[in-house]
Amino acid sequence: MAERHKVDARGAFCPGPLMELIATLRHAQIGDEIEVWSTDKGSAKDIPEWVKKVRHELVAVNEGSGYWRIIVRKAK
Amino acid sequence: MSGNPLYILLCSGEHEKLQMAAMMASVGAVSERPVEVFVSMNAILAFAKDAPPEGRYRGGAFSHLLKEKHAPDVLTLFRQGRQLGDLKMWACSMALDVCGWEMSGLVDELFDGALGLTKFLSDAEGGQLVTL
Repeated sequence: MAERHKVDARGAFCPGPLMELIATLRHAQIGDEIEVWSTDKGSAKDIPEWVKKVRHELVAVNEGSGYWRIIVRKAK
Repeated sequence: MSGNPLYILLCSGEHEKLQMAAMMASVGAVSERPVEVFVSMNAILAFAKDAPPEGRYRGGAFSHLLKEKHAPDVLTLFRQGRQLGDLKMWACSMALDVCGWEMSGLVDELFDGALGLTKFLSDAEGGQLVTL
């Protein structure tokens, strides 16, 4: 059964949130979702771009309460 | 699927340029792009195994901000690129000779070995070369 993993990267500077996402993805199962919390302004665009390039799935990008919540599904 | 290889010729010892090289190398490597970094001149000094933590990176106003805000460490970024992607790092054989260093004088588990500029440039003909 797919799980959702949370990565609280608030306060980390670029490319910290992306690196934390990738490190978590490595240990996740296909179908799992990773929810990244980031205060880095670039993450909202950088992470979707990376997800598209390496062919995972972007589930959502939400902004609220001073940080972004970016949800990625492991596709391979 | 691998992208166009990225080759980074890193000569500057300025913290800001070391930081950008580390960011480019790590992000490129985790984006399914083979990356190779050739470290020479002043840049090699930042990779000395015995460099004191407070003196490893020297730079200008932005260097102070990077330290004050605890931006990701240069060596950590390079290590992440190696762990999570296809990143190779080479120490310039000339720079090692000039410093009187062996590979053992450089930080552990970061370099693949020593290399000459001719070989690096020859390899770089097959990709994109960036010099910092």
